[in-house]
Amino acid sequence: MSKKNFSIMAMALLTTLFIISAASAESLKIGSMSPLTGPYASDGTDIKNGVLTAIEVFQKQEGGIPGYDKIELFPQDDVCDPRNAVAAANKLINLKVVGVIGAYCSSCTIPASETLDEAKIVMITPASTNEQVTDRGLPYMFRMCGRDDDQAPAAAKFMKESLNAKTIFIIDDKTTYSQGLADGVSKNCKALGMNVVTHDHVNQGDKDFSAVLTKVKAANPDILYMSLQGYSPAALMSIQAKRMGIASQIVTQDAVFQPKFMEVAKEASEGVYLTYGFTDPTTPEYKAFEQIYVPKYGKIAAYATYAYDSTIALLKAIKAAGSTDPDKIKAELMKLDFNGASKHVKFKENGDSGSSYIAFKVVKGEFVPYWEPTKGLIK
Amino acid sequence: MDSFIQQLINGITLGGIYALIALGYTMVYGVIQLINFAHGEFFAAGGYVGVIFLSFFTGLGYMETHPIFCLTASFALAMMYCAYLAIGVEKIAYKPLRKEARLAALLSALGVSIFLSNGLMLTQGVYDKAYPSELFQGGFSFGIITIGYLQVLIVCLTGALLVALNLLVFKTKIGMAMRATAQDKTMSALVAIGSNKIISLTFGIGAGLAAAAGIMVGLYYGSVRYDMGFLPGIKAFSAAVLGGIGNITGAMLGGLIIGMVEIFGAGYISGEYKDVFAFIILIGVLYFKPTGIMGENIDDTRV
Repeated sequence: MSKKNFSIMAMALLTTLFIISAASAESLKIGSMSPLTGPYASDGTDIKNGVLTAIEVFQKQEGGIPGYDKIELFPQDDVCDPRNAVAAANKLINLKVVGVIGAYCSSCTIPASETLDEAKIVMITPASTNEQVTDRGLPYMFRMCGRDDDQAPAAAKFMKESLNAKTIFIIDDKTTYSQGLADGVSKNCKALGMNVVTHDHVNQGDKDFSAVLTKVKAANPDILYMSLQGYSPAALMSIQAKRMGIASQIVTQDAVFQPKFMEVAKEASEGVYLTYGFTDPTTPEYKAFEQIYVPKYGKIAAYATYAYDSTIALLKAIKAAGSTDPDKIKAELMKLDFNGASKHVKFKENGDSGSSYIAFKVVKGEFVPYWEPTKGLIK
Repeated sequence: MDSFIQQLINGITLGGIYALIALGYTMVYGVIQLINFAHGEFFAAGGYVGVIFLSFFTGLGYMETHPIFCLTASFALAMMYCAYLAIGVEKIAYKPLRKEARLAALLSALGVSIFLSNGLMLTQGVYDKAYPSELFQGGFSFGIITIGYLQVLIVCLTGALLVALNLLVFKTKIGMAMRATAQDKTMSALVAIGSNKIISLTFGIGAGLAAAAGIMVGLYYGSVRYDMGFLPGIKAFSAAVLGGIGNITGAMLGGLIIGMVEIFGAGYISGEYKDVFAFIILIGVLYFKPTGIMGENIDDTRV
């Protein structure tokens, strides 16, 4: 290497170092990871919006974090693809973020958390409900939403007790999330003495479900359980099921909890049931979130609220820790005990924060709380 | 048996849509030997223009009073828009590369595809756009079999467009000029056929058909999304190859076969491998007949 080349390289390196150190002196960096393009772009965008809202509210209510001028978000796009998720995790490590909110797809959260864990970066997922997310015992992995092994029994119990179902047809779309949940529902339904007629699969990104729905129509089950990732395929399947004249009750799950579901499926969405964590929309914490979120981004969707709470929890812990040391942040996260917008936040030893699944019913284009596992029907 | 007939109807509907998109690939390939990977994006753009106009008409209340007019107008406007979009794309992205190696134009096509799909995402948002759903709900019921009005509409409209295209290509002077250009650009230029004009026209017609398919998909499935062009684009491309790329009848046949195989694969074997069946058929046919089903004399009668 010639001397000239070397000096240019050294200068370039020094400049980069200088820029990085100059930036970190004033802003606290956090990352988010969710699909911003691809088939789950809408759900991923909701998460990013929830995180941005939380940063805004936190700065307003708690006056930010001492020692930093501002809190800066580095939103990463994982396209719901495990390879992209690991790349995004590496990028966030290079950016030296203090914590990460994400990801959406369980299939992304699981590999990305392994990478982030090696770099000792706290990750809080607002949306990945697969059991494996926290069951691997990673010390820096936290979860704000519920678990599928809580959701599946709740769904099975609901179908058995409230809908008096005897036969059930399950369809999943082969994602880590949807298949895991569908297997759980199948197991729980069988345990409760229901007959799982068929457990069929479709592909991610499918638009045409006529073939599988023809099978449903021929089987005529009491329940059509749609385990689909995202509101979009669920809306398409509801429309096509209605058009085909399928009389079965449709039951689906948390990923469909998105107001766009009713916007797209319209009358086909009426009477659809789904399981989702209970959120009280009358609390002051929820109102504070709603006030900032709704005017900027529109109706509140599936995981925006959990993303908001995850971010608030992370920022509270960083502030309490008074440093960016991961172990101190983790200790403070475990100590947290506050009312979030979605629920009361208190992390357990494994990083979970508890599930509160109830059944909702779509009535006149709104998700209405319908049934509760312990008390039964909600008036 | 009942569900067999139902699946057959489902297959024809899906196959018809694939056939309409496949025509664009095959026509463009016939004339300039380019696989236009941006073709799926014209399909998506057509769906979006359709939803914009149909929502506009519904908002004005015309949809209830003049449904046929509104539908015709939306189809015509979307097809025209996409035709001009395709002609524009050809002028900007393909024409300057026509004399270069074929790979250059192919890469340019991939670039245009990414550009258009992201353009749709940025301008129309990442969320699904719902079609006004009051249109043609319901259908004819015979026992367990249900044929939606929309399925009837799609099959009829697809049929009409295919017949019209065949007449255009094989019975008119323009069609003759297209076939001549496809056979030999230099020779056809000598007999005063403007090859640029014909190429533009081919792109326009192909994209117009894709736009019609886009609206039908939107009407049938109830919504459109910015990335909807990718998967049907790939399937339709396979359909064109299966039928014999460059051959119009082949593309129609290929579309129907792919649609049928997908539906029957999902209906009778397993839903999770339906795409696999479609591609197994494709590979099987190409193994024994590399030019595709109808692609016998690829050098003479392509468009």
